[in-house]
Parts: sequence; C-alpha cells; structure tokens
Amino acid sequence: MSQAVVAVNAGVLLPVLAPAIGAAVVLVVDVAAQRLRRTHYMIALVSLVVGAVGTFAGLGMVAGGVRQTLCLPGGGQCMYAADAVASGLQLAALLAAGVTLLLSWPDDKKQSSGNTAVIVSLVLAATAGATAVAGARDLGSWLVALELATLPTVALVALRGARSAISGAIALLTTALVSFGLLALAAALWFTATGSGFLTPAAALAVIDDPTRRPILVLAVALVVAGIGFKLSLVPFHAWTPEAYDGAPLPIAAFLAGVSKIAALAALLIVIRAIAPLGAPALTTIAIVAAASMTLGNIMALRQDSVVRLLAWSTVAQAGWVVMPLAAVSSAAVFASGAYLLAYVLATLLAFAVVAALVQTRGAARARDLSGYQGLVHDHPVLAAALGLALLSLAGLPPGVLGLVAKVTALRPVVASELWLLAVIAAVNAVLGVAVYLRWLRVVMATADASPDATAEAGTDGSVAVRVRVVHAHPATLVAVGLAAVALVVTSMNPQLILGLLGS
Amino acid sequence: MILLLAALAIPALTGTALILTGRDSVRASEANANLVSLVASVATAALVVATVITRPKVDYQWLPSLGVRWQFSVDGISAPLLILTAALGIAVVVHARSYPPHGGSPTTFYGCLQLVELGALATFLSRDAVVFFLSFEIVLIPMWVLISRFGDSHDLPARADASGRFVLYTVLGSTLMLVGILALVHSAGTANLDALAAARGAGLDRSAQMVIAALLLVGLGIKIPMWPFHTWLPPAHTIAPTAGSVLLAAILLKMGTYGIVRLVIAPLPIGFGALAPVFAAAGVVGILWGGLACLVENDLKRLIAYSSVAHMGFVVLGLSSGTTVGLQAALFANIAHGVVSALLFFLVGGLKERWGSADLATARAALREVSPRLGLALVVGFAASLGLPGLVGFWGEFLAMYSAWSPAADRPEGFMRVLAVLAVTGTAVAAGYSLRVLRLIWSGDRTSPAHVDAHGGEWSVLAVLVATVLVLGVAPGIVLNTTSKDVSVITSEVSR
Repeated sequence: MSQAVVAVNAGVLLPVLAPAIGAAVVLVVDVAAQRLRRTHYMIALVSLVVGAVGTFAGLGMVAGGVRQTLCLPGGGQCMYAADAVASGLQLAALLAAGVTLLLSWPDDKKQSSGNTAVIVSLVLAATAGATAVAGARDLGSWLVALELATLPTVALVALRGARSAISGAIALLTTALVSFGLLALAAALWFTATGSGFLTPAAALAVIDDPTRRPILVLAVALVVAGIGFKLSLVPFHAWTPEAYDGAPLPIAAFLAGVSKIAALAALLIVIRAIAPLGAPALTTIAIVAAASMTLGNIMALRQDSVVRLLAWSTVAQAGWVVMPLAAVSSAAVFASGAYLLAYVLATLLAFAVVAALVQTRGAARARDLSGYQGLVHDHPVLAAALGLALLSLAGLPPGVLGLVAKVTALRPVVASELWLLAVIAAVNAVLGVAVYLRWLRVVMATADASPDATAEAGTDGSVAVRVRVVHAHPATLVAVGLAAVALVVTSMNPQLILGLLGS
Repeated sequence: MILLLAALAIPALTGTALILTGRDSVRASEANANLVSLVASVATAALVVATVITRPKVDYQWLPSLGVRWQFSVDGISAPLLILTAALGIAVVVHARSYPPHGGSPTTFYGCLQLVELGALATFLSRDAVVFFLSFEIVLIPMWVLISRFGDSHDLPARADASGRFVLYTVLGSTLMLVGILALVHSAGTANLDALAAARGAGLDRSAQMVIAALLLVGLGIKIPMWPFHTWLPPAHTIAPTAGSVLLAAILLKMGTYGIVRLVIAPLPIGFGALAPVFAAAGVVGILWGGLACLVENDLKRLIAYSSVAHMGFVVLGLSSGTTVGLQAALFANIAHGVVSALLFFLVGGLKERWGSADLATARAALREVSPRLGLALVVGFAASLGLPGLVGFWGEFLAMYSAWSPAADRPEGFMRVLAVLAVTGTAVAAGYSLRVLRLIWSGDRTSPAHVDAHGGEWSVLAVLVATVLVLGVAPGIVLNTTSKDVSVITSEVSR
C-alpha cells in the first residue's frame, strides 16, 4: 500500500475545496477571536471568489471536454469529473452564495444574534456540497455531497428562531430525510443493476442487453427523479417550499431558491447523462412531473398575496421548466436544462435582492405583502426597474431577453423529440407565468394614492417619529441588487454569455 | 448595412433612454419628450426608406449555441410594411402633439411608442426565424404599458382586463408559434427564412407539415386576430390610447399575416394546402361575424375594432387561395387596412376626446356641420372601409374574393367559391355598417354641442392619410409592383 490510492489534483478540486476550507477557517477564527462579524463575511466572500476562479478553466469546454481528478490507480475511473455544464453550475452556485451573503451582511446598528460564524460556515458548507455534487461521479460522493448541500439549509432556516421558521425548518428536514431515503435506495438499486459504484454511461451501458437488470435500472432512475424532485420542488414533492421560504430569513430563502436548486439539478444531470446513451425514447415520468409542476406552480402563484410565497410557487413552476427538456434524454437536453436553471437563478436572485432591500427600507410587513408594492415605481424607481427586469425575465418577455432565450432553449429538445403535448402544455404555462409576474408588475407600476414612504410607515407604526426618519437599504444589499441587475442586463443583451458557459 | 442597423438602433436607444429618464415634474418634459421622439421617428423613417432602396443584408453571429444569427434584410414583401411602420411611427408622435398622453409620465409614453416601432421593424426585417420570434415579443410589454397605464381610465377594472387579455392571448399565440418555429428549424436544420422557404418543407411528411402548420396558424392567427381568436381585440382597442390603437391595428396585426407568409405558406406548402380550406373558412366567418357585430355596436372604437376583424378576414381569404393573385391581394389588403384603420383610429381618438366618450347612441353635433375636416376624413375612411372602388380598400378585398373564386389547383374549388360568395355578402354588410356610422355622426343638421375642427398636428396626420387612401386607391401598382416579384417566387414554389 505504498502507492497512493487515488491521485488528487487540488487545482481541479478548487471549486469544492475553497468554500469548504473557507467554512473551516471561519469557525477557527471565531474560536480565536469572538465577536467578529464582518471578518467572517470577508473570509467567506474571498473563498467563494477563489472557488469561482477555480471553475474558469472548465467553462465553455467543447463537448466531451472534462476536468477530472480522484482517479483510481492504473488509469481507472475518476470520482470527480467536471465538464462544461458542471463547471457552469458550480460557478453559478458560488456566485449565488456570494449574493446570499451580501444580502445577509451584518448591520452595524443592530445587535448581533451571536451566531454569525455559524451562519456563514453553514452557507459555505452547503455551497461546497453544491459544487461537489456537480462533479461527483461515484455513488458515495454523489449522495454525501447532495446531503451536504441540503442539511445546512435546515439549520439556516431554523436559526431565526421564530415559530414560522421552526415549522419551515421541520418541513424542510422531513423532506430532506425522505429524499435521502429515496436516493439511498436509488443508489443501492443502481449498484444492484450495474454492479458499478460509478454514475457513468459505461456502467449504464453494461445493463442495456440484460432484460432482468434493465427494470432495476429504470426503477433506480425513477427513484432518483422522485428524490431530486423533493429538492427541486417538483410537484408532487413540492409541499415544503412555501412553508420553508416564508419561514426562513429572506437571504436564506434566496439561498434555497438559488444554490439548493443548482445542487439538486446538478445531481439529476449526472444521472441523466449516465443513462443518455441508453437511447431511452423519452422519460415520461419527467414529462408528467414537469407539466404538473408548471401548471400547479403557476396557478398557486396567481393566488398568493405574499411575495415570498409567490416566489416560492414560482420556483415550483420554474422547476417544471428546468426539468422539462430532460424528458427528451439527450446531451442537448442536459445543456438546455442547465441553461434554463442559470437564467432562472439569476432572475430570482435579483427579485429576492430587491425584496430584501425593500424589507430594510419599508419594513418586513410591507415588503412581503403584494399590495405594499403599490406605486413602487414612484418611490424607488431604480429598485422598481430592477424588480421589473427580474419579473419579466422570469416571465420570458423582452426586455428580459435572457428569460425568453432560456424558454427557447428549453423547448428545443422537447420539440426535437416531437413531444407535442408537452410543448403545448408548456405554451399554456408560458401564458400563466406571464399572468403571475405581470400581476406583480402591475402593482409595482400602479399609481400610489399619494402616499410616500414616510406617511405610510407612520400609519402602520402609529408613531410620528418614523415620519422624519429616512431609512436606507444596507450598502451590501444594494451591491447585491446592482451586481445581479447588471448581470441580468448584460446577459439579456448577449445571452451567449450564459449559454457559452455550458459548452458550445 | 449601417443604415439598417441604425434604423433599429435609433428607436431602441431612444425608447430605452426615454423610459429610463426620470419623471421630474418639469413642465417642458412633455414637449421635450415629444420633440425627441419626433426627431427619432423621422430619422428612423429616413433610414428605413434608405434601407428599402439599398436593400442591404446584415448577418452576425449571436447565439452560436443555438445557431441563432442576427440576419436582417429587405425584400418586396416586407418593404411596404416597413414603410408603413416608419410612416405611422412619425404620425403617432405628431398626432400626440394635439393630444398629450395622460395617466403617466410622458417620457414613458413616448418611450413605449419607440419600442413598439422597434419591435415591428425588427419583425419585418429579420431573416432568422428565432430572431423573428424575439422581435415579435418586443412589442408586448410596451403595448401592455400603453394600454394599462395610458388607456381610458373611466373603468379601471375594464382597463386591467383589456391589457391583461392582450398580453395573455398574444403570449399564447407567440409561444405556440415558437413551438412551430422550433419544429421547422429542427427539421430543416436552418433558421434562415429564405433557406426555409427554398427547402419547401423537404424532409417533412404530410402529417408533420400539417402539425407544424397548425401550430403556426393558430399562433399567428391569434395575432391577426382570426376568428375565433379575436376576442382580445375589441377591448384592447376600446381602452387603448389613440396612438396605441393605431399601432395595434395598423402594424401589430400585420405581423401575424406577414408571419404566415414567411413561416407557413413558403416553407410548408403541403401542410398549408391541407389546412387552407379551414383557414379560409375561419377568415370568412370573421368577415361576417365582424360585420354583423358592427351593425349593432354602439361604441365607435369597438366598432372599428370589429371591422378590423372583418378586414383581416379578407387577408386570410387571400392567403388561403394559394395563387399569386391571392397572395398579392392579401399583402395589399394588409397595407390598405393599415392606412384605413390608422385614419379611423386617429379620427375616432380625436372624437372621443371631444365628446368624452365614443358612444354612438348619444346625440352629437353632425360632423358635416361643425367640423368639415373631420367629416371629410370620416367619409373617406368609411368609404374606403366599405371597399369603394377608387379607394385603397377596394383592391385588396376585390382581388381576395377573385382569388377565392379561382383558387390554386390543389384547393377544393367548390368550397372556396362558396366562401367567395359569403365574402361578397360580407362587403354588403360592410356597406351597411359604414353608412350607419356616417348617418349617425356625419349627416344631420344638429350643431350643438359644438367642437373644434381638426387643426395643426391632427389635421396634417389626417390629411396625409386621406391622401394616401386616394393615391393607393387610384394607383395600387405602387404596392403591387413592389411585392409581385417575391410573391411569384413563393407561389411558383407552392404550386410545384
């Protein structure tokens, strides 16, 4: 055993190692010097940026290009392999985690709750899980990384301590456990069917001619879809989503909508890529789940009066769009799914960032309530414009060209596989989606009844002192809004910037 | 090439800049916004004319991952529509000098007008099917803002309903169209409209062509709007501000019929041939349905909206015939309806401002007595609308009925002739409702309550449109000769 068991290339692993090490450093620093707050955030941002730089080498690789490490000796299989799609998802997860941190940046005026280091290290740990799962190629790392991406979010939701936070965390925890059970079973079945611990096409191809083992593999894939369905908030596994989003602090809700979804899709794509060469005609399960998610998500989103719940149901609907292309099992479908997810994450993060900024300036009650957005375009024209761009991107209408191009991308594999019914359901849901987001936008653009911020706050608080106090959003929040908005504007003018990340 | 790109860049930049300009309450900002958009529209129009004359081609890589390219060029089919768009782009701004927008910031209003113009120009210029779809979508949000912010504020729930209906119907149509486009592009392996037209559906069997053609026809039919998908149009027109109604009727509806020529008739000849009888029948039902609604409708704006449904029915009938004459008729009727509906909506918009409503049941001063200029424009507009020979409305509808009477060889001749006869009945209905309107508001001897006649910007816009109605009525060859060469290319390929 003098020879190393596996070869490790730290440079390739950087997107995973950087946030993981960052999490450890934060905890160590917290032990050494307590009461620090901004230092933790600084460390975290640096580790995320380092991780993001680590993904650059993998971005936009041509088909077949892959960066791998943790390979078994003797030219064997590798446990970590990141192709262009995986690298693109890793970059998105790291940047989305950065936006989350900016949104939760500590405020000098408020008393510390004492668990800054815990929050920051949990965010980093979950992000490390997300980047790890994108590259995982063996069953063990795949399962562990996916849970590493999930479990810290339970704590993050619960840490706020409010009653609604606890119930949201319990919903999330229950879901995570069920999901883990299903995925563990799926992993066991995969191993039974293929005899291989690797989620690779080679393993799947070994089963293709064996009529007794093939059904086991099919069952494994179905269980993967169900298990990941919980994490992606696909109908019928979506019920936790509005509870958790609503109960969680706003930045954590943004984390759930961004990084968690990236982790879940990355995990699903690994399995889809592994079975793509089998030449399965179409995954009917995914088609049904996608159609149901879009429809129910949009219909429920239409009925929400809380914007966070609206965004939660919109996540359900958008998750349907994300997995829809996968109904046609192909590499084009994997690309389309990843591209749609990136467009969704960017637009959703911008929407959450604007809501967070409004929570700081107008108070949580008003910023979380749809009717509180009345006349926003007059009171905060810049924030209203950013929100409008985010909503139109989610709706897929110009000027949110990125969202529109994402819809084109997502529909392409569906049409190419001649899944006409699914395509028509998607078209109807495009309409429902537009209704959802325009309902919000209409309120934003409506004329306020001559009620500027100060007087309205005086009305709710009942205090005259509020009348003269002008509250500004935290600069870090505004930086998050600005970064997301600029990214969305630039990628709307040239969507190839996003598409190109995932390979050409 | 620079000319073409500048013709798109000017409305894009002006529109964005105007919308992003703050709503500072400087009194001059309305006048300034108008001036800026007037300059931009005139410059755009000049560039469009230059583009139409020089016929440049633009081809840039845009989304290599999806094989989408910025491909723009002009041919005989799009040239008249481009000129119409550019001219009306100026006209709505000039007309708004007489009727400043109310309900929101004027910069937003003018910015939205510019963006609608951008979307229409890009639609007519683009030669890439996916870019065509994207351009198609550009007009939606600006138009939604125009209706929902600047529309008739008497009935706010109705306004919300009308603007919402407009967007939702159109999005359904365009997404179905997108599915059709993607299927077409996937099977042909190219997104270039000229290449698609040249391929003539090669590699697609009859049933696949029919599925794709049906998706595209329903999608684009909502935009036209074709019966039974027309129910979004009357509320949208009733509520929209004058400029919005004009752009909607005169330009946006044409994007639907133009799309059918480009995406269905040329690339899917077999599929369209199979569906043409149904399509034509829907058009003729629209002619009769719209005409009958006009006979009893008491809201003047809504009446003109229904008459649009009828007129677009003639376009649909012409498109369905499969002959060169029919296609020529459809394209001419497109332009004719653009001019006439613009004239009527400008006119009625002004009347509604004067009257305070557009209700026909209320007794008004006869236009003939108190405002002869408005009266003249009204008479010319409705005379053209009923298809009087010598005016612009005549040629398109006459030729469309003629083409339905003698359709292409693969169309069911007997059925098409029945449709032609029914369409003739439709023109009689059109005469009925046109004369009804003239009797109600033009003739008579009431002189109170008096109102001012058209003058300034309003009169110049009306006068130019009246002149266009007469000129194109007398010399339809101006348009027909422009389109004929490219139309015969399509129909010769169709009949092969």
